[in-house]
Parts: sequence; C-alpha cells; structure tokens
Amino acid sequence: MRDTFSSKLVDLAHSDPKLLLLTGDHGYGLFNSLREARPQQFINMGIAEQNMVGVAAGLSRVGFKPIVYGLSAFIPIRVLEQIKLDVCHDNLPVIFIGDGAGFVYSHLGTSHQSTEDIAVTRAIPNLIVMSPGDRFELARCIDLAYDSNLPVYIRLGKADRGDVHSKNLIFNLGDLIHLKEPDPSDTRVTLVATGSMLKMASLLCESFPSLGLVSAPSLKPINARHIKDLCEKNHTIITLEEHSIYGGLGSIISDVAASMSHATVKKLGIQDRFSEHCGSYEYLLSEHKIDFESLKVEIYNCIYSSEQAAG
Amino acid sequence: MKNTLISKQIRRNILEMAFHGSTVHLGCALCLVEIFAVIYRNHLNYDYFNPSDPSRDFLILSKGHGVMAQYACMRELGWLTQETLLNYFGDGTDLKGLSDSRVQGLEVTSGSLGHGLSVGVGIAFGHKIKNVSQKTFIIVGDGELNEGPCWEAIQFAGHHQLQDLLIIVDKNNFQAMDETAAIINQDNLKNQIESFNFNVMEVDGHNELEIDNAINNLYERRNNRPSCIIANTIKGKGVSFMENKNEWHYLRLNQALYDAALIELER
Repeated sequence: MRDTFSSKLVDLAHSDPKLLLLTGDHGYGLFNSLREARPQQFINMGIAEQNMVGVAAGLSRVGFKPIVYGLSAFIPIRVLEQIKLDVCHDNLPVIFIGDGAGFVYSHLGTSHQSTEDIAVTRAIPNLIVMSPGDRFELARCIDLAYDSNLPVYIRLGKADRGDVHSKNLIFNLGDLIHLKEPDPSDTRVTLVATGSMLKMASLLCESFPSLGLVSAPSLKPINARHIKDLCEKNHTIITLEEHSIYGGLGSIISDVAASMSHATVKKLGIQDRFSEHCGSYEYLLSEHKIDFESLKVEIYNCIYSSEQAAG
Repeated sequence: MKNTLISKQIRRNILEMAFHGSTVHLGCALCLVEIFAVIYRNHLNYDYFNPSDPSRDFLILSKGHGVMAQYACMRELGWLTQETLLNYFGDGTDLKGLSDSRVQGLEVTSGSLGHGLSVGVGIAFGHKIKNVSQKTFIIVGDGELNEGPCWEAIQFAGHHQLQDLLIIVDKNNFQAMDETAAIINQDNLKNQIESFNFNVMEVDGHNELEIDNAINNLYERRNNRPSCIIANTIKGKGVSFMENKNEWHYLRLNQALYDAALIELER
C-alpha cells in the first residue's frame, strides 16, 4: 500500500504543480520518489503539526492543494481543532493522510496508536472520511479525494496485509463494495469490514463459507441505500474495524440500520479502553480480541444465535 | 471611504455595535483602532469594490476577540451597512462575536487563539512559492502568544524567510483573567521574536505616525526576514472608564454608559 501511495503521489504531483506534500517530519523513505521527481512540491514542516495544518489552510486559500501527511495519532487527533476551524469550516481542498492507524505501532504504546480517529473526524462538517482496505481501494480513494476539491481524511492502517481485490476499482464516495453474497439458504450473516480489517474479514470468510463480505472504504458520506439493501438481505450484520466500537464503522452502519426493524448489527472492534501491554501487532489484536481466533468465536456465536432466532 | 478611517469614527462604530448588540470584548476592540486604521488607510493593497480579489494583500485578525474594530473599519470602507452594525447579534444575522472567514473582508475564523498566525504564515508562504510580493499582515494578541502554535508559526516564518509577512502584536498587557505579566511574563518579547530571525520594532500602538513609520521602515529593511511590530496599546483605549480595566473584556454597555462613552469620544 505504501508503494501505491508513493507512486500515486508522484503521478499527481506531475500532473498538478499546485499539489504540495506537507509532512510533520514523518514518513521516512516514503517520499523519496516525490523528493527526487518533484522536490519543490515536498515540504517538511518540522515537528509542529498544529502549524502544519494552519499553513496548509493558508496555502489552499491562495490556490495550492496541500496533502498533509502524519501518523493518525497526530493527524487528525492532535490537530483536530485546526482541521475543524482552519480547513473544514471553509471547505478548503486539503487532504489529510493519517498513517499507521490502529495498532500499527504496537510496540510503541498508546501515544502512537489511534483507535478514535474515525469517530471524531466523521463528526466534523464538510470532512470526507475514507478508510481503504488494500492497494486497489487506496488508489481509488486518492483519486476520489483529489478530484473532490474538498477536505478529506484518509485513514491508512496496517499496510502489509495483502490485497483483497484483484484489479483496479471504480466506486463512488459512500459506496459499499460487495465481495461476496451470504448464502441465502443459510443464516444470512454478512461481515462488513473497513481498512486493515478487510483482509482479516476475507480470511474469516474462508472459515465460515456462508458469510457474506462487504468492504466499506468510504465512511463519510456513506450510501444509506446500500446499507438498507444489506439490512434487507441479512438477518445479522457484523461490522469489523481496527477502531473503537464507539463512533466508527459499527456506529455508522447502526445509525442507518436503526430504522430497519429486522436486522441486527453486531459491532466487532476495539472496546472502550487503551492498550495495556507491549507486543507485536498480532499480540495487540489478540489483547483487544480482534485477532483471527477471537473473531472466529464471536462470529460463530453470532451465526449460532442467528440460527436460533431464525428458528 | 478611506478618508473616514479615523480613530474617533472607528471607536464610535465600535461603541454603537457593542451597545446595540449588547456585546462583550469592548476592551479587546478599542485597543486595535489605530493599528487597523493605519493598515487599511496606508498599507493594505486591495480592490475597494472586491475585498476577495485574489491579488489583494491579506489582513488577518488572529486575535478574533477584537473583531468589532475590523467591522468598524469595514463600515467606513462601505463593506458593511449602518443597518448591519445596528443589528449586530440579531437573530439570523451574519456578524459574529469573533472573526469568521465567511464574512467577506475577514480572512480567517479565529477566536480560538493561535490559529490565524499559522494560516497567515501559510498564505505568506504560498505567495513566496508563487514568487509574488503580496503582503500579509497578522494581528495577534499578547495573551494569544501563550499558545504554542504561535511559536511554531513564528519559527517557520523565520526559517522560510517570509519577508512580506508583518506580525503586529497588540500588547495591551492584559488577557482574559489578569495582567499578562502575572500569567506568562513577556518582558523579553522583542528579543524572543528577534531570535527567530525577525526584524522587530516597538511602537506606541495608539500613535498612528509611529505605526506608519514602523511599517515603512520594516518593509524597507526586510532583506529576507519577516517583520514584527510590538504595539504597546491600552486595553479599552479611548473611553477612560474602560482603559486598563480588564472587566471590559466582559462588561456590556447600558444606555447611561453608552451615552457617557460617546461624550468622551467627542472631547
């Protein structure tokens, strides 16, 4: 995914001299191609994220199209007020890239982990929120973001999980992408995943062949019609995200599904707490019970209770 | 019109707005009058009929609490009507109690402090990249300089040699709850800002000639350094019972106080 991001950036910078990449001294190695190809369009703003976002707003006011890069613990969490006031209040075309979302920095602790960024960004008016799950979704998200000329937050999580899609994608803002329909003769349970959990969801589907699978790379706006269709086709929807269960994908789907009487939404994600221990990425997933084995149990229970409810 | 941008008229507009809107932050606006008057009258390049012309100079009020002083000038420029001033704070009206960029003539949304400086530095930086010499003026409060992002912006401006940037510190020595010296002492402010590669001058912020000369002087010797004026002002300037009385950050005018204030202006 990082290579895709890097090469998309170089392409866009070539085609639009108004693009400026601003980083808060993060992204070692990630911008080598850009710095080589278009050095004048790369600016290291120093370790001063608040000023970086304000400067981005000023640059966009005089015609530039800034892409602001940082770790998602900082962009958007540290600079939320600058995003709200300096950028979104005036609907300025600034793209925020929040890298390393979720537990990517599992060994570094809470300061570098970000599990609340979707919840807070989606409450800011005018801000589009995206969470691509693989290289193909990322490439499309970047194009949609750049062409929108609006403020956008793109959340990048664990980037080395592998692809789920196999070719370039065309989807619109808000679309859910259907990867697999649930078995209509079975329990009618569909897994909806976003970002880094998309690959996990596709692996879980191999263990539970009757499950449907949907990807949600665009979280705000979200196509309510797509969610309603999903509710009509399913007895249970399980959401899966490397983000708090408060305010993330699970809440987004629930908001719409609340008006659907027959569908249950089961939210799988991070409970309301910080990480306790140090360890690998996989360890932290298990600490938070969103590792493969824990999720298998949850989904098994969910399918089992759906079966019982169906009679 | 530009020739009506005189301090007495600007203060009269401020009092009128504050009285009719029953608003606070009078002291924060009255101290900015001469600074705004000199910049609008003598230094800011803008299209009189189109305040949003992209080739304009930018005047940014980072200290959003003083916005009534800017409204008062915009009235004299013909950008706001008298009716708008008299309806200040009415239901469904546009002018807020803090700077809001959606009002034509105001450049940033501020009031949450420490924002306008970075946005203004971004504008100045953009002009430098584009190799145009449009000027950016930013007015910050001395209390506002408590905010960390102000210093991030100042170090960035110095490093990138934003020579068409002028920061004016409205040094009225007060902030919301007390004298600035009692909260975060700024005795060494001139040296502090100079140390970030700025040219800095200190002036009497109510002496228009001094302000005017300082802006000219700093512009002439800018030589790849941004500029800063520390304007020593009096919070509540022009109305004796408000001067250096920090309660006028919060108090509102009743009819008697309004009448008394207007009489003072006419003296």
